[in-house]
This record gives sequence, structure tokens and C-alpha cells, in this order.
Amino acid sequence: MKNQANPWLTSNLLVLGLGMLPAAVLIGALLYFTAWAFAFSFTDLALVGKKSVEWSWVGLQNFERLFTRKGFLESLWTTVIFVFFSAIVGQSVLGFLLAALLRGTQSTLRSVVEVCIMLGWLLPDIVAAFLWSATTNQTGLINAIFVVPFGFKPINFINEYALPIVTIANIWKGTAWSYLLFSAALDSVSREVVEAAKVDGATPFQRIWLVQLPIIRPHIATNMLFITIWTFTYFPLIYAMTGGGPGTQTQTLAVFLYNQSFSRGNLGFGSAISVAMLVIVGLLSLVYLRMLREPK
Amino acid sequence: MDTGPSRLTAIALCFMAVIWVSPFSWLLLNAFNPLSTGQLAWPERFGLDNFGMAVSGNAGRQFLNSMIIAAGTATLSVVVGISAAYPLSRLRIPGRNAFLWTLVLLRMLPSAGVLVPLYFAAQRSGLLNQLGVIIALTVLNLPFTLLLLKNFFDTVPIELEEAAYVEGASLFQIITKIVLPMSRAGIAVVWFFSFTGAWNEFLLPLIFARVQDAFPMSVGLYAAFGQQGAINYGFLTAFSIIYAAPAVGVYFLLRRNMNTGFAGVGVKG
Repeated sequence: MKNQANPWLTSNLLVLGLGMLPAAVLIGALLYFTAWAFAFSFTDLALVGKKSVEWSWVGLQNFERLFTRKGFLESLWTTVIFVFFSAIVGQSVLGFLLAALLRGTQSTLRSVVEVCIMLGWLLPDIVAAFLWSATTNQTGLINAIFVVPFGFKPINFINEYALPIVTIANIWKGTAWSYLLFSAALDSVSREVVEAAKVDGATPFQRIWLVQLPIIRPHIATNMLFITIWTFTYFPLIYAMTGGGPGTQTQTLAVFLYNQSFSRGNLGFGSAISVAMLVIVGLLSLVYLRMLREPK
Repeated sequence: MDTGPSRLTAIALCFMAVIWVSPFSWLLLNAFNPLSTGQLAWPERFGLDNFGMAVSGNAGRQFLNSMIIAAGTATLSVVVGISAAYPLSRLRIPGRNAFLWTLVLLRMLPSAGVLVPLYFAAQRSGLLNQLGVIIALTVLNLPFTLLLLKNFFDTVPIELEEAAYVEGASLFQIITKIVLPMSRAGIAVVWFFSFTGAWNEFLLPLIFARVQDAFPMSVGLYAAFGQQGAINYGFLTAFSIIYAAPAVGVYFLLRRNMNTGFAGVGVKG
């Protein structure tokens, strides 16, 4: 957009600048706090006790501990599994399928399904955790419908299959976002293109795979970027459902970070974990942003 | 459409919808059962006693706290966001896109990471209260808010503004009469995201709210797990429903806008 000579803008630069001021102050604060979070990762700052006041710089010690002590690498692996199955496989694929299937259906069915999926997304994290704990415990819905009527003993799913259950709960909660985004994206694909493909004899599968998917590629990349990052740092649902347990089975990096920082009070080590998470997330984002930029 | 979906697809979709809402059965059965035990069972009689408990006393106070925090954060974010996003969209400030994306990436720092410095700063300036939570959440929201709003403003054709200027409109009129109405959907989306985000927020109020009077519902619900020995499931489920209602309600109020607004999210980098 060339807009060098727009008099209503150029004659009001001062006003526009003043308008940006509050945001600039708040962004400045954000940068300042982030810088401190970085700085803390090189200290032995603690939440309580002597080291909460008389902390000292310890160089790269915290970062060495990430790799030499138990915890970080295990949590990283748990996080990768959780993100891959709940966000990339579960939410994205399911969201896209729903968007593609519902596109052609009549409006009542579409509204009903939409509302049902949205309910999960709109539910506050703590409530969703509460709900899923109740659904998957020994007297819960899954046992009452699928296990007990067939003569099996009730299974305490939340204890025995903690990671899969948390993953399913997150798919249940998050699919709506992918669905909405893909649905809006598919609406932006012009009908003529799809019709033309149909006239040329493309099957429904080909129409989606070869025509619509390439067109909405930027949306796919954006969606992946957002949900990967959100899931990577997602905390309340897992924490309220399992607290990271049993043992450390569901201890994703976000839960590990919280436990280290606020349960054990190792703020310095906790900051090192969050810096490491930022680096990982940053690298992932670069990959997705390349996907977004490439076709022009 | 000439090719309606096959009956099979429709049935599969209905089935899926049923599965999706089935966990709510437990919530509803317990909330409307005055003698609730936390089991999945059909109540002997239905009643609203639990809801009575869930709106009185502390619980009612917590609802109000959540409302203040959520509406305050959403409104502050949108006002601050609009006044900065419009200049960012229209003036050719070098590197603005890279800057905004950097900010968004920076926000990927798990919020527990910036919580520590944020807490120290709030403590020093006496902001360990609701105003502090509102400002802190706005700070954390702002990168997303700015990026989304700027993208929406980018889609408003500048020719319209030119025409209005030629007709003698001032900057203020151009913004309030053209830009804002045309990006209404986008603004609604941003407001809604900030609202639900703040409404759901758990960690920040947990650490900022020092007294029980200041608890929002998220912290209240978490704290109520296992209070007074036995868990009162009837109260908790009713409280959960009341806690979930506003976010759901706001969504359905804004639903028409939301679906248009979403189209803008993925369009531009």
C-alpha cells in the first residue's frame, strides 16, 4: 500500500503519535519484564528464604542443570507427544474435516454441530478439568457406558491412562478454534474454482486435496503456528486435572516450570526453563513462518 | 448446493455432536440435584438449591470480581489497541511487521516466566489488586491485540478515507465514521478474545489476589475443591455452570461478527 501523501494522516502525526503512546508504554513494560525473566535465568533467585533477597549470579549453571538433571528432557518429550497428538493431529485434522464436511450441509445441522464443539472451547479451563476428571474416573461416564455394562471392572482412566486422557481432553477443548479458522478459510475459496475443478472431473477428495488445500495454505500455517505454541505452553487444564502426575507422566514443560518455580521455589532454574521453552517455540515459529511466506 | 451431504455424513456428524456434549451430562445432573454426591446418577428430585448457594455470599462476590477483571481487560486492550493499531496500519513505519511478530513471539514465553518480574513490579507499585490484574493482562494481551487489529485495519480500503477527506471529514470523523464501523467484526473478535482470556485466567489472579474477597471465580473454584473436608459436588457443579455461562453467552451474542472476523486472522502475516 502506497500511502505517503495522505493529508489527513500527515497533518495529524502528533495526534497519531499520542494515540500510540499508551501501547508503547505497555509494550515497554512487557519488554522490561521479559528482560528480567531472562536475567533471572542466570541467577539462583529463590521464592522464599535467604536466596530470595541475597541472590547471586551463577552464570550458565541453570542451563547446564537442564541437561544434567532429571526432569527437563523427560518433560520435553512429554510435551512433544502432547502437542503432536492433541494439537497437530487431533485439533487440526479434526477441525479441518469438520469444516470441510459441514461446509455443504444445511444450516440447522451446521449450527447444532458448531454449538456443540464451541461449548468445549468456551468452557473455562478449570471447569473443563473438573468435568473431564469426573467423566474419566471410576464412576464416570466412560465407565458407565463402555466398561461396566460389558461386565468389566471399572477402570480409573485418569490414573492409568493419564497422558492419553489429558490429550483427549485438550482435543475436546481446542478443536473449535481450528474448525472456525478453517471454516472461514474455506469460505474464502471462491466457488468458481471449485466448480471448475468439478467440471474437469475432479473427485470430491481431489477437490479438497488439490484445489482447496493449496489455496488455504497460509491459513493452515497460521493455525499450526498458533495452536502449536498455545499447546506447548498450555498449563491450567493439565495442572488442574493431574498436577503433572501420576509420578511425572503428564508433566509437560509448563507444569514442570510451575512446579520448579512456585512449588519448589527455584525461580532462577524456572526462568532457565522458560527461556529454553522460548527458544524451542521460536525455532518452531520460524519453520511455520517460512511455510507462510514461501508461495507468493 | 447441488451435492447435499450424504445421509451417512449427516448421521456421523450428529453422532459426533452427541459425543462432544456427553460430558456435560454429569455436570447438569449434579447441579440440579440438591442431594448430589458427585456420582453419575439420575436425581431423585430436581431443584435449584445448589444454584442458590452458588450465587450467594462469597460466590457472588467472586462472580463480580471476574466480571470486573474480564470486562476491564477487554475494554482496556481494545481501546489501547485501536489507538495504536490505526497509525501502525496507515503510516509506513519501517519494520513494523517484523516488530509486531517479534512481540508476538516474545509473548510465547510461558506466562509463568514473566510472572515473577511482574509480581515484583506490582508489589512495589501497590498494584496487587484487581487493577493490577487488569493492567498485567492487558500488557500480556497487547501483542496479539495489536497484530490482529492492524490486520483488520489493513483490510479497510484507504480510498474510502481519501474520499471522506476530500468531503472535508476530520481525522476523528474518518476513524469513528469509516474505519471503526468497517472493522466492527474484527474489534468484536479482539474484545471477545480478551474477555474470555481474562475470564478464564487462573495463574495471574492466583498470585495477585492476596485475600479471599479479591478471588475471581477461577481461583475460587480451584480453592473450593476439597474445602471443609468433603467436596460439595452440588455446589461446585452449579458454580461451574454459572462460571461458564458469561463466556458462552458473550460468544452467542457476538456469533455473527465472530465468523466474519475469523476470516481476517489468517490472511496476512
